[in-house]
Amino acid sequence: MNGHVSRREALAGIGLGVLSAGCLGRTRNIAGRNRPSQLTLQIDSAPADRDPNAIRIARHLAENLNAVGVDARINTLSRTDLWRKVLINQDFDVYVGQFLESDPFDPDAMYAFSHSRFVAEAGRQNPFGFTDVNGVDERLERQRRVEGGDRREAVAELQRSLCELQPFTVVAFPDPLTAVREGRFEGWTNRQPLSPGALLRLDRTETTDDGGAETAGNTTAEEETADEETADGDAVLRLVTTDDQITENWNPIAAEYRRDGTFTSLLYDQLALVDRGEAIPWLASGWERVDEETVVVDLRDARWHDGEPVTAGDVAFTYEFLRDTSMGSLDTEVPTPRFRGRSSVVRSATVVDDSGVELAVDDVNDAVAVRALQVPILPEHVWSERTDVATIAGFEFDVETTEAVVSNNEDPVGSGPIRFVEATAEESVVFDRNPDHFLARADSTRGEADPAAGVPERFRGKPAFERLRIEVSPSDIAAVAAVGDGLADATVSNLGPDAVPRIGRDADTRLVTGRSGGFYHVGYNARRAPLSNPRFRAAIASLIDKEALIDEAFDGYARPAASPLAASAEWVPTDLSWDDRETDPVYPFVGKAGSIDADEAKERFRDAGYRFDEGGRLLSRGE
Amino acid sequence: MTWLVLILGSLALWVGGGLLVAAAVIIGPGRIRGLRNGVASRLSEARREFAALCAVLLASAVGRSSLQTVSELFGLRLTGLIYAVEGDFIEWLQQTYATPELTMYFSSVYVYGYAFLLSFPFLAYLALPRTKTLRRLLVAYALNYAIGLAIYTVVFAHGPRNLDVGTSLLFTYNPAFTALTSEVNEAANVFPSLHTSLSVTVAAFAVTTRDEYPLWTPVALWISTSVVIATMYLGIHWLTDVIGGIALALGAVYLSCRIVDEKEATDGEIDGDTAAVDA
Repeated sequence: MNGHVSRREALAGIGLGVLSAGCLGRTRNIAGRNRPSQLTLQIDSAPADRDPNAIRIARHLAENLNAVGVDARINTLSRTDLWRKVLINQDFDVYVGQFLESDPFDPDAMYAFSHSRFVAEAGRQNPFGFTDVNGVDERLERQRRVEGGDRREAVAELQRSLCELQPFTVVAFPDPLTAVREGRFEGWTNRQPLSPGALLRLDRTETTDDGGAETAGNTTAEEETADEETADGDAVLRLVTTDDQITENWNPIAAEYRRDGTFTSLLYDQLALVDRGEAIPWLASGWERVDEETVVVDLRDARWHDGEPVTAGDVAFTYEFLRDTSMGSLDTEVPTPRFRGRSSVVRSATVVDDSGVELAVDDVNDAVAVRALQVPILPEHVWSERTDVATIAGFEFDVETTEAVVSNNEDPVGSGPIRFVEATAEESVVFDRNPDHFLARADSTRGEADPAAGVPERFRGKPAFERLRIEVSPSDIAAVAAVGDGLADATVSNLGPDAVPRIGRDADTRLVTGRSGGFYHVGYNARRAPLSNPRFRAAIASLIDKEALIDEAFDGYARPAASPLAASAEWVPTDLSWDDRETDPVYPFVGKAGSIDADEAKERFRDAGYRFDEGGRLLSRGE
Repeated sequence: MTWLVLILGSLALWVGGGLLVAAAVIIGPGRIRGLRNGVASRLSEARREFAALCAVLLASAVGRSSLQTVSELFGLRLTGLIYAVEGDFIEWLQQTYATPELTMYFSSVYVYGYAFLLSFPFLAYLALPRTKTLRRLLVAYALNYAIGLAIYTVVFAHGPRNLDVGTSLLFTYNPAFTALTSEVNEAANVFPSLHTSLSVTVAAFAVTTRDEYPLWTPVALWISTSVVIATMYLGIHWLTDVIGGIALALGAVYLSCRIVDEKEATDGEIDGDTAAVDA
């Protein structure tokens, strides 16, 4: 992390010292010390085409770091490379990214994000290498066990610890903005418009008179009819995204390829699906907490996309597999890079009968137990073939990686309401409605053997589309334009401030927003000095003007926050909630209205024990 | 996809029309008539250079995505360095000079002017009785692409708009152009600017052939200068990319002169017919 030490200067000094006899020991004492030099920090972020908000946060931070004498450099990487660098290789100083959960979440989501038991693992779990054994770890464990007011207190304490120690700095919760066109599908809600549940809930617009509606652009209309013919005259839901990952990789456990995993969770059913804050029995027709340490799950009658039945064996396999994707075939366990917090709840899974599975959970509360049911259930007959060490042309590259973790999972075989049809890398991907799914079957066979018992009315007979087509767009502006021109029904990736004003221009297009759990944050690599020092991270946190960034980076479409749980206000203690504050309650911005007070900011670093050279550069001895 | 078809259609129309007019005015009827008889033999003379250019373009089309992967994995990440060196120059340029009219002008030049600028010299130099200039041009194009592709593989850098330095005026005003440029360009390939290097290449040739085509020289200089400015004005390239592009162009032109000349000297014995015509 340190800049170059001038070797020539150093050598000349050593030469002189050695020449003067008797000074050899003294020379060694001096020359043997590493000389401090200016601290260099690299800020990793996705480029503006892919994430228009993150790059603005990165620039804000870089500017203010430079103002306090740190040599901060922005490094742009494609999203996959960014996550590979941060989550898998853990080879970074500072990154700007989004928490990878789109909906407001249970506090237990912090377990995987910050528990020290995951420091040595590659994946979403604790990418910071952060350890606070007696504080954060202790509270994370406690909030899993206790309930009610005790849990609330434990969660409040957890947030206070995280805010104080700053393994990551929460910047803001963005509004999940999407441009939608209601001509073909309706029911876009203002809560989480792009969650799996929301996409499944959509209805077809009654008047499907496309010829009349589409007066503008003949070619547009032609392409539409072509699309519809391929789906036997039925509706195609056309989404547009700037994120090309779903056109290349369909692996639900690949950490670097998934954001919130909306489409993989439509491909792979979970035992329970959370929609509008309630847990709905999904692939499981129900579950029962028989005692403190056991959950018994009953499966629905379901089939994989290749026709094989979904069995209790698949469920038991999945939990074992998520804990160790090598299924015990390697010397070390290779845990999954996603769903680590959830799968760690389940100690073991045992098949009871064809459709019954017994999950052994540690003494956890019900909320956490239900979270454990929200992992994608994988077909054993496909994934048991992927437990070997990943190889390139037969050559073992990394003994701690299995085929399952690195597979692109082409032709994914899930059990979900959509199934894979075809894809062109970096361009488009097509999914079809799965007519064998319990939601689709729920339409016809209601009564004695309801295939979708326990599923709310809004999901029955869904999805309303026959085909789901996702096109990749070069930028957020182009994505909004595609919706405006009637080429797509909705955007599914982040929209920047330049794209938002364009949404209102077309009468049929409108902006839908909601609440998101995917907070933007600055993540620090606590394995590296001086980022390993919480005081240093706190000083960096006070360089970030969250209030100003809301305007600059989000055009007002975001809320500043101190706590990672701010999307679920009921969990946030008043001393950490933002409400009507103008600046961060824990580490307020040093400066006013976006412009930093550099002298005051340097004072923070001095207070934390850091020093500056005569040129005002922040010195560090590095590693 | 629809946009792409539309924009390609209008591109073909405009560039085709431009070529016709330019052929009549700049090349002149006499040379065009001469073209009718000479075209076959001239093309066959320049076949190896054509083959070289085609080979490079083909390699670029086929290999680009895999080279891009290599670049992503092992390339030098220079975005931060470039930004540290030149700072907010592009933002300053836009904030100082941007007007809707200029944006319209530079967007058109960037797409239409550039396509015309690159295609017209083929026709013009094919109309010359001696094929040396044509062959040098082809070699220079091939070198630009080949060296450019090599540098793209070594260097991984995003343009100013991806750092939110300035805005992407091309994208903002003409989303349709976005479709075209995103088909052709990879966002992480900005250094050097191939738009700049190919334009400067054409300009350099226009200067050396000012005796043959005195009208073309000022036209080429005007368009190529506009394209060079457009790459920065529109927020697509850094100043650093442009400087790199100019260096690449001058190098490619110099090398093309060396290669084509030297080849003639050694080819004399082997390739009798080619040498005879040129002598």
